[in-house]
Amino acid sequence: MKLLLIDHEDSFTYNLAHLLSSFGKLEVKNYYDVKESTVKKSDIIIFSPGPGKPLDYPISLEIYEKFKTKKKIIGICLGFQLIANGEGGIISKQEKIFHGYQTYIRTNNKSLRFPNNHMYQVGRYHSLKLKEPFDSSSMHITMRCEETNVAMCLESHTNDICGLQFHPDSFLTPNGKQFISKIIQLKK
Amino acid sequence: MNNSAILKSLLASDKDIIIYRNSEKNNFELYTDFIEKINLNINNLHKFLNKLDKFKAKKKYDCYIGFFGYELLCKNLNLTVNKDKHAFPEGVFFRPQTKIVIDSKIDIFTKSKLDLIKSLKSLKNSKNISKNKIKVSPSVENYEKIFNKFKKNIKAGETYQIKIAQKYSNKKDLDIAKLFFQLMKKNLSPESFCIRTKEFNVISCSPENLFKVKGNKIVTSPIAGTVSRKKIKSTKQARQFFENNQKEDKEHNMIVDLERNDLSRITKPSSVKIQKLKFVQKYQYIYHNVSDISGTLHENVKLSQIVKAMMPGGSVIGCPKINTLKLLNKEEKEPRRIYTGSFGYFRSIKDMRFNIIIRSILNFNNNNEVFVASGVILDSTAKNEYHENFLKAKSLLDLLK
Repeated sequence: MKLLLIDHEDSFTYNLAHLLSSFGKLEVKNYYDVKESTVKKSDIIIFSPGPGKPLDYPISLEIYEKFKTKKKIIGICLGFQLIANGEGGIISKQEKIFHGYQTYIRTNNKSLRFPNNHMYQVGRYHSLKLKEPFDSSSMHITMRCEETNVAMCLESHTNDICGLQFHPDSFLTPNGKQFISKIIQLKK
Repeated sequence: MNNSAILKSLLASDKDIIIYRNSEKNNFELYTDFIEKINLNINNLHKFLNKLDKFKAKKKYDCYIGFFGYELLCKNLNLTVNKDKHAFPEGVFFRPQTKIVIDSKIDIFTKSKLDLIKSLKSLKNSKNISKNKIKVSPSVENYEKIFNKFKKNIKAGETYQIKIAQKYSNKKDLDIAKLFFQLMKKNLSPESFCIRTKEFNVISCSPENLFKVKGNKIVTSPIAGTVSRKKIKSTKQARQFFENNQKEDKEHNMIVDLERNDLSRITKPSSVKIQKLKFVQKYQYIYHNVSDISGTLHENVKLSQIVKAMMPGGSVIGCPKINTLKLLNKEEKEPRRIYTGSFGYFRSIKDMRFNIIIRSILNFNNNNEVFVASGVILDSTAKNEYHENFLKAKSLLDLLK
């Protein structure tokens, strides 16, 4: 299996790369020099975390739009927001900023991959969030922050897409690898 | 001439020397008789690093020892920096032929002891410049402006943590070697060093190791979290303070993940481990919160890859590193020069150690400069951080009085 990790020059990308590398042949490319031919050759596209907002990365948004029905797509943090943006969602500032926090999140009954009403402890680095209401025919919010109710996971029921607002790559997420494993192994 | 007499006249001479603290052996190493001195810039950096890949020290005194300056490290990441009005070297490495180990006894390892003794000249005359008023840059007003700008950047997610540097400077002639040992008596920091040359001088009581390589193992020990010993009286209390203080704790988490990331660029998958999470180290005026993180280097890793992945050290910059450096370089007007660069030695690709240059005095062009930095935190005010900076600089500013 070929994995392509699109790096938005974050200081956490390579933590994610180490997690991903056990699932297949991984290539890491900077967001500004990804070639379409490389994307085409990959089985899974992963959008990395990164500074700023989705609209700062038009090339990544374009790749999402072009390949969302053709490839399995995973987004982490900014990557989650890129997916949300690509599905018509709005990314806005949140009141409390979560940089370096370890908090609880809870799953709901809409998840295909994770058991219902389950709590996980996760590491977080984000000042922006998905603005709600978020209406999408294909995407469901399947995890929420226990404290603020902010969306933590987006799963698609029609395409093979999953975004996590938290960081499975952080040392603050125990068993971070299990999130990646569940997302990668399940077909839509 | 016995060893102790040689050391004494060497310190009193005007020969170029480097003194480096060896915290593992709890002693000092003095290097001199440099047969090579390489001034680095962005055009020759990679040639130098590639040459070192093949270098293996055979003699006890042999190594390359020196520093990479902040501006050079930024250029190495393709970032634009402010131009330095004075031609300060962006990085310098020396290759010594003499090493003196200063411990309960003094050992000399040298190519030629006779040459060493012959080279020692008499005392140099120190010129006393009386003007010693300390200037600070940026001013409180400008600091506050930058601080508030960066607060907005944090709210917009453009940086998660950012550290503004402040420069204290004055004019005073310094007896570098004497001051260094004077400072070490009060503030024996594990990564201390001093460089004395005709062109410039550096004294640093850096507490922070950026990385050590032994064999194929690499370890980094980032510091994130500082508290004054005025408020806190024991290591145990300091530990509680760091645990309970949200700001310090979250800052530290971020730096642990950042360093795990930087190590992951050059190490084998799944080999990166947190060896020790959040332990307290005690200094003259402050306590620090430290973690140890290690990894197993890729086979055939190159020095240029290690330098690019690890430098400048993230704990003194902020996170994520690249965008934070861009924001800093846009707002800061003073060249940082050695500050937040890295000093260390290289004996082979399997044996090297580099620190982060903080808590340092750079004496250059008749001027002494001390930089300190602290983080922009949303629920903190510019004045608080301005004060924290002064605290960090205090043991060095004492020397400039």
